[in-house]
Amino acid sequence: MPRYHVVVDGKEFDVEVNYRSGQYEVSVNGRPLRVQSHRLGESRSLLLVDNQSLEVDVRINGDGGKIVFMKGMEMSVSVEDYNLAQLRKIAGIHSGPLVEATFRAPMPGLVIDVRVQPGQKVKRGEPLLVIEAMKMENIIKAKGDAIVKATHVRGGQSVEKGDVLLEFE
Amino acid sequence: MSHKINKILIANRGEIAVRVMRACRDLGITSVGVYSECDKTAYHVRMSDEAVYIGNSPSTESYLVQDNIIRAAKETQADAIHPGYGFLAENPEFAQRCLDEGLIFIGPSPETIRLLGDKLQARALALKAGLSVIPGTDLDGRDSKAALQLVRDIGFPILVKAAAGGGGKGMRVVESEALFAEALASASSEAASSFGDGRVFVERYLKRPRHIEIQTLRDQHGNCVYLGERECSIQRRHQKVIEETPSPVVSPELRKRMGEAAVNIVRMSGYVGAGTVEFLVEKDGSFYFLEVNTRLQVEHPITEMVSGLDLVKEQISIAEGKKLTIRQEDVALRGHAIECRIYAEDPSEGFVPSTGRLKNYRPPSGPGVRVDSGVVIFSEIPIYYDPIIAKLVVWGQDRPEAISRARRALEEFRLSGVKTTIGFHRVIMDNKKFLDGDLSTRFLEEEFPDNNYQLFSDDLVERAAIAAALDTFVKERKITLGNGRRSRSTGSSWTTFHRRNNLRSFGGSR
Repeated sequence: MPRYHVVVDGKEFDVEVNYRSGQYEVSVNGRPLRVQSHRLGESRSLLLVDNQSLEVDVRINGDGGKIVFMKGMEMSVSVEDYNLAQLRKIAGIHSGPLVEATFRAPMPGLVIDVRVQPGQKVKRGEPLLVIEAMKMENIIKAKGDAIVKATHVRGGQSVEKGDVLLEFE
Repeated sequence: MSHKINKILIANRGEIAVRVMRACRDLGITSVGVYSECDKTAYHVRMSDEAVYIGNSPSTESYLVQDNIIRAAKETQADAIHPGYGFLAENPEFAQRCLDEGLIFIGPSPETIRLLGDKLQARALALKAGLSVIPGTDLDGRDSKAALQLVRDIGFPILVKAAAGGGGKGMRVVESEALFAEALASASSEAASSFGDGRVFVERYLKRPRHIEIQTLRDQHGNCVYLGERECSIQRRHQKVIEETPSPVVSPELRKRMGEAAVNIVRMSGYVGAGTVEFLVEKDGSFYFLEVNTRLQVEHPITEMVSGLDLVKEQISIAEGKKLTIRQEDVALRGHAIECRIYAEDPSEGFVPSTGRLKNYRPPSGPGVRVDSGVVIFSEIPIYYDPIIAKLVVWGQDRPEAISRARRALEEFRLSGVKTTIGFHRVIMDNKKFLDGDLSTRFLEEEFPDNNYQLFSDDLVERAAIAAALDTFVKERKITLGNGRRSRSTGSSWTTFHRRNNLRSFGGSR
């Protein structure tokens, strides 16, 4: 029976799924649930969990995970084979990047100012860069304490979303 | 003085362009839309009767190019221009250009826009009109050291504001002297890049004021009314997020005092059209003049919901030279209305703009719900403009009913493809302080520091896990199904169906 390790919003789930004689058999963390799923077209479906109705839209996320839209909200979800995930955990390998060594542009825009230099120690909340996007100046602050290894942009430069702006040690 | 308008060019895009077009259609007026390169198939273009291309995608090459807009108006023989909000809406040169070209500009005169757009002049006028203003000072081009001398008398924290400002641009809160020089420089540079005018001034920063504004209408004959208030205290970086009317703290007596103050400054500025006078209100009910917005506000629909008036139709009728048909004593405000601005922004990433294509879009409806959208399914959210997708406006008999309708409507949204602020609004609708009506302009930063909030219930998170696991399961399974059954299916399911049907009738099985 296919078994998945699912992470949503920082929470982990052990989900088993099977399909037999037109019925899904699903259990979450060992708890069996009555689940029905009806396709509504494209990536949308009507999900009934223990008779509770919910319209969901499951799409591929850019980072290889999935994105689930429901009730006007969206959640990033990662799904992995359960056994593989267990092995990975024992081996101590994290999924995704260990530390965010590179700082990427969170939005397309114009770099107004770079407030840090290579070698500089920054504290959480300290301003790193100023980016103008959609006519607003956004001060980008450090998410944690770190040492700046390199800066890849200058003031006046246009950047696309995802461009590497800074590297940390 | 009276001039019937037959065709209006709407110098804007998105939801507000659609909004104005609807009023045009209601009035039997032909609407002309304008569009940039990336807006070729935008919803507002599909909604307009006629549409004219005005340039490349960046707004500085299209929606802000006065020549192109005027040319489009001439080409289509429009007799009036509605500027919407943003872009050229509060640009006195543009209003003047329209007049010079024989076009009606739907808004106040260039002189009024210029006077009220300059915050320093507006402050002086407010004082003359007998309104209170926040203690502050003009920096008059002083360098940061000299300015600091002046600012010390006001006392920190202070607020640095652009004289030509609006929408929080060129505005900085400064907590202490040490941060003053930097804030001054960045406010000034932002003001210069946004408005072409780097002049800034300072005001005492009120700790926890409410932002409450009064909607006014004034015709060309001097008749003026106020249509109650809108509380817009829920703001993020000086951008309004949620607005409601009436304000939970405005008594009929305070409404009258604020309304009359608003009418005073509107009269003294020679204002014609729909205007908004913004105030900051302190706990004790004292209110300070902030500014006059010389345009239709984003949040105008909540006033429409409680007043029963169509403000865009009122604007057009005033521009035609007609007299107001409503007197102050006729203004009857009924029930409670709330607006949630739905932005294509990612609340979990500090509200950075989220651009892309709407792969699904179904707005809510039902009793008490109005959605003003600028998008439809498969619309592209471009990077060039304000990331507003829609405005959810709900009405209820009272505040609790309006709030429950807002909750219902937010959950009813079906939308995928970009991240939005819908979930964040949903969280606010359950916030205790919000429910108590205990608001201030610092509400969001105080209640949601570091954007720290539980967006999803445990149940919802579990459902998402199930949905994602099922999706993976089905996709993996499909691969094996596809390999195993490739040769089986021939023809469409339609043919299969009829084949089966025929077999059945021949076989005589009943």
